[in-house]
Amino acid sequence: MRVALYTPMPPERSGIADYSALLLPALEQRVDVVVARRGRTRPLRGTDLAVYHIGNNPDAHGWILDALRRRPGVVVLHDFVLHHLIAGVTIGRRDGHGYLDAMEREAGVVGRLLAHGVLDKRIPPLWESRPEDFPLAGEVLELATGLIVHSAHVERRAREAGYGGRIWRVPHPAWPLPPIEPEHVGGDPLLGCFGNVNASKRVPQLLEAFARLRRDHAEARLLLVGATSPGFDLDRRLQRLGLADDGLVRLDWVPEPRLWALMAACDACINLRAPTMGETSGSVVRQLSLGKPVVVSDVGWFSELPDAVALKVPVDDHEVETLHAALALLAREGEVRAAMGRAAAELARREHDLERVADLYAAAFEQAAGGTAVVDSVLREVATAAADVGIAAGTPEGDELARRLAEIDVGR
Amino acid sequence: MRVAVCAPQVPFVRGGAEIFAETLVSELRARDHDAELVTVPFKWYPGTRVLSQAFLWRLLDLEESDGRPIDVVVATKFPSYCVRHPNKRVWVLHQFRQAYELDRTELGQFSESPEDRALRRQVQRLDRIALGEATRLFATSANVAGRIERSTGLAAEVMPHPPQELPYRCEEYGDFVLSVNRLDRAKRIDLLLEAAAHDPGLRVVVTGEGPDRDRLEALARERGLNGRAKFTGRVSAEELASLYARCLAVYYAPVDEDFGMVPYEAFLSSKPVLTATDAGGPLEVVSDGRTGLVAAPEPGALAAAARRLREDPAAAAAFGRAGRELAERVTWDACIDRLLA
Repeated sequence: MRVALYTPMPPERSGIADYSALLLPALEQRVDVVVARRGRTRPLRGTDLAVYHIGNNPDAHGWILDALRRRPGVVVLHDFVLHHLIAGVTIGRRDGHGYLDAMEREAGVVGRLLAHGVLDKRIPPLWESRPEDFPLAGEVLELATGLIVHSAHVERRAREAGYGGRIWRVPHPAWPLPPIEPEHVGGDPLLGCFGNVNASKRVPQLLEAFARLRRDHAEARLLLVGATSPGFDLDRRLQRLGLADDGLVRLDWVPEPRLWALMAACDACINLRAPTMGETSGSVVRQLSLGKPVVVSDVGWFSELPDAVALKVPVDDHEVETLHAALALLAREGEVRAAMGRAAAELARREHDLERVADLYAAAFEQAAGGTAVVDSVLREVATAAADVGIAAGTPEGDELARRLAEIDVGR
Repeated sequence: MRVAVCAPQVPFVRGGAEIFAETLVSELRARDHDAELVTVPFKWYPGTRVLSQAFLWRLLDLEESDGRPIDVVVATKFPSYCVRHPNKRVWVLHQFRQAYELDRTELGQFSESPEDRALRRQVQRLDRIALGEATRLFATSANVAGRIERSTGLAAEVMPHPPQELPYRCEEYGDFVLSVNRLDRAKRIDLLLEAAAHDPGLRVVVTGEGPDRDRLEALARERGLNGRAKFTGRVSAEELASLYARCLAVYYAPVDEDFGMVPYEAFLSSKPVLTATDAGGPLEVVSDGRTGLVAAPEPGALAAAARRLREDPAAAAAFGRAGRELAERVTWDACIDRLLA
């Protein structure tokens, strides 16, 4: 069986490119995979199935959506909220009408009017202000012959959006641990936060909670690693909270080997997020592999992490207080950190094992490529036999046959 | 209790699984249970027939019969465990192995076409659904339980079953190695014949019938085993017990076998078992140098192991006695108590 794979790949700097680079060799051991050259939207000949990695970044995924439009196939849906992607392939290509249509499909006339407001610059861009309210996943769902998702959250949202096709839930794969030594950073405890520094990563709330933690744990240190998003005034916040000179270690984007060394140095890692676009976090998966306890926002995929490995902070009026309590617990209780760390490593080994994930992918591909023919064949044989003995569709006997077929997953 | 034992039936084929199901019914009856064997013919080819045949089991209504409830169903083998019942116990002898470890081997059935690949996945999915419905799930060996766990994530309790009732006895440690098996490729009887070709002192008696018989007989001729390899075909229970009673050892080395009653039958006749390192389930009871010999799956290694037993009948007898102690601990009383608990 031959599969055409449309995905960003390194050296493109994206989490999904890293993901595909990790998964591809394991997939190739199971399935014949042809990776489409970036920008190629024509269907690849001689393949039984096309698989598209779709995320919210138009630079990385715009061409993949174009390819999906030419040949429907299985979509690996990394984010459920695709507003930024759709804006990129419409407004970003001077196709305002495309954006109007997408918004109308999502939210009717009100959606269209709001889109006019965006195009006329009367209201802020919705992909920045309210993307979660207008996910704009409709077109992708319509083109997807099957979906691979990483979380129950995205599966539920796809179903709520009316998606009726097959969905396979496959965990995010874990990277094999590189041979690294933890970098010496200091801090007791050392708390790490990795990724873009901005409001949606709840950095303001984290800084507030950490400043409170420092009152009782003067040796605590926060390692903040990642690029600061435009418009986010980190320095001013640090000044105000008294963290500018002490307690905080600030690093910009770091290459992969150093990222691992820094994570390995942490006693716990903080991964906050709100609103969620339905994404998983490669960063959290790395931290689990390293056996680090994590603190996460109680949203989306993050909510689905077992309580044994993650302290979950609801995004509400008490977010800072709850976050502070979580950090204080981890700072105070070495035993709790150790137990959570052990559970984290075990979860990564059990659930996110690369070979297991590749097996699940291969199973999904095989079912997607040939499953319809199999079901058709069984249904034809059963229907013929039923008709031979006088059982027609719509009769109680016919309904029972349909029910029993559905029980063994051979129904329509 | 009213118990329906469910087992598929491949018309005109009879082997360990059929004997097991029939024996289970008679042992249940012997303990005052109202037991009945329920079978449906099974054909697994071509194409999607494996699924449509499995579906036949799904349509059966075994919640009651003749106006009286059936308390328990005990399903044994794919696809009989697709049957519906609120108290479904599954004692797994076999999954559909072509969809698992035999896939992409010469013993596999599914090609590389998208349809065949999807069909194999559908069989696996069916297993997850049907076995997941069981109120209790047993496996005849740790090998089977491990395969279930890997393929479905379900934990099965390991419960081997006693072999068929025969007048087991030991009369001597004679001059031949006995093979008791259905004659098909997976049972690897050709390996025993090749071992005999390797060692002119090795005599073998091959019982059983099967699709591989012509090839095996031709192989014996080609290797010049005239008179040293005897094919008996299917034998009566008394003849089988007599062969067990007189042989030196019993050869049993299928590829990654699930369980196999043969080692237990050999042990009850106080005979050691000669097997291979990749035989799977038999290795749970055949310990090298304790209840038999475990050799590499190569003619030379097997011939050497057989020679060792031939040259040291005292060791063969000691291994056989140790095996007997082990086999005598597996009783129908214990199995049925656990099965219906």
